[in-house]
Amino acid sequence: MSAPAPATPVLEARDLSVVYAGNRALSVENFQLAEGELAGIVGANGAGKSTFANAMMGWSRGAPKVTGDVLLDGQSISALTTPERVRRGLLLIPENDLVFATMTVSENLAHAASARQAGGRRIYTTDEIYDLFPNLAERRNHLGGQLSGGERQMVGIARALRLAPRVLMLDEPSIGLAPLLVTVVLKTVRTLVDEGLTVLLVEQNVKAAIRTVDRLILLERGQILAEGPVDEMKADPRVADAYLGADT
Amino acid sequence: MNFTQQLINGLVLGHSYALIAIGWTVLLGVARLVNFGHGQMYMLGAFVTWFVMSRFGLPYLVAIPIAMAVGIGVGYLMQRTMLQLTIRQDLVSVMIVTLGFGHVLEGVAALFFGSTGQILDTPLSVRDIYIGDIWITWQDIAIIIVAILFFALLKYVVEKTRVGRLVRMVAEDPKLALLAGIDIRKIYLGVFAFEGAAVAIAAALIAPRTPILTSMGFDQVIITFVVVVLGGIGSITGSYVAGIALGLFAAFFGAYVSAAYSTAAMFVFLIVVLVVRPGGLASRPGAH
Repeated sequence: MSAPAPATPVLEARDLSVVYAGNRALSVENFQLAEGELAGIVGANGAGKSTFANAMMGWSRGAPKVTGDVLLDGQSISALTTPERVRRGLLLIPENDLVFATMTVSENLAHAASARQAGGRRIYTTDEIYDLFPNLAERRNHLGGQLSGGERQMVGIARALRLAPRVLMLDEPSIGLAPLLVTVVLKTVRTLVDEGLTVLLVEQNVKAAIRTVDRLILLERGQILAEGPVDEMKADPRVADAYLGADT
Repeated sequence: MNFTQQLINGLVLGHSYALIAIGWTVLLGVARLVNFGHGQMYMLGAFVTWFVMSRFGLPYLVAIPIAMAVGIGVGYLMQRTMLQLTIRQDLVSVMIVTLGFGHVLEGVAALFFGSTGQILDTPLSVRDIYIGDIWITWQDIAIIIVAILFFALLKYVVEKTRVGRLVRMVAEDPKLALLAGIDIRKIYLGVFAFEGAAVAIAAALIAPRTPILTSMGFDQVIITFVVVVLGGIGSITGSYVAGIALGLFAAFFGAYVSAAYSTAAMFVFLIVVLVVRPGGLASRPGAH
């Protein structure tokens, strides 16, 4: 399936490749994310979804050979370190590692971008965060380690919002959460997109992703197998048969 | 033996132990790393203080910041050399590199300062105070005051300031800290530089109590290791409490049993405490 190229790419990857000890874990020729878009990367376990998100951030487990180019707002950020990419507004909420467990919710959210670093991008205030996640307001003095899975996911998103995101990537936000909490978290993500944020959702839970995103990208064995508007992708047998089952 | 005198000796010794260990406490708490060259850095701090005072005739209060500056330089250089190992948390390689670095420091110091023992006299170490049978020097009082102030300041900085929060974030989860935009390399470099400065000020204050030798680093690293482990790894309050406890233990054991076996007895004390309280004397989850 040929992908409709987004009008104004905020985030791009060109010929992005990650190779571990001679084994290619990722090979993405072209990836684009448009301004204000909510796209989802789905695929089976081991398809390379997290590897892709990590490579975009300039971070990797171990020491793979990473080649290709990553662009943010048309400018190459491939030579930048992970913290430098964060300061430019590229944020990743990783899978599992979401909170600083020995710090309170307030301390977790105290770390914010300065106005100079933000360069005009929106820095959510703690009041705005607590409006978005009332649970966190009640638990502001609790240690991160005492929070439930859903609350930890909220802290992860909230901390990213404090860092003036241009693009927010969420790696498996539904993992370990009850279905109701998955819905709450993904609705919040939709709200943020409606407020103007650009989001890339990396999800193994394809059904949840389909309910949320505008565009779906199917990753298999480290390569983009198909991508397109979510309604079209739902009908694609490679998605429907493998991930959605007969009921959809 | 005068009990009160031993109590004072123990308190002075305890604050000395705590002060020597303060840099390692932060290093272990933040970088989750060890520095087996710590003792040699202590030795270097003592010799730089002595050298600056005896060779150039500079006052003690000028010699201390010079020793600290050298300590910062050595700590920075050491961490810069093994930064990739630190980031990969390759603990075994870091242990070997720091051990090697310590031996290199010892060799260079012996070449530069000579291998004979020296006496580091300061304006404070030669002034005694007698209260009845009780004896103490102004140097001892300075050690206690500086140790208390240093620990209080460090606890405040780590728990209440932005820098402290960044350091704690890196300590807990370097990957998450990186993804929160924190330059963990700068934090690691800063922590090693701090360790160098802290051990240098400890050396400048404590070394006047005994003759200084270029080979004295090993004893210091052993004491530091015991204090830090006993206090609960990375715990600032714990290191202070452990230092005092160990100092009192060493003073009373040395006075009433045998000074010759006090190091062995310290390790017995360490083993017993770790068996009874595996987290150390003053530790609790998340404590700093």
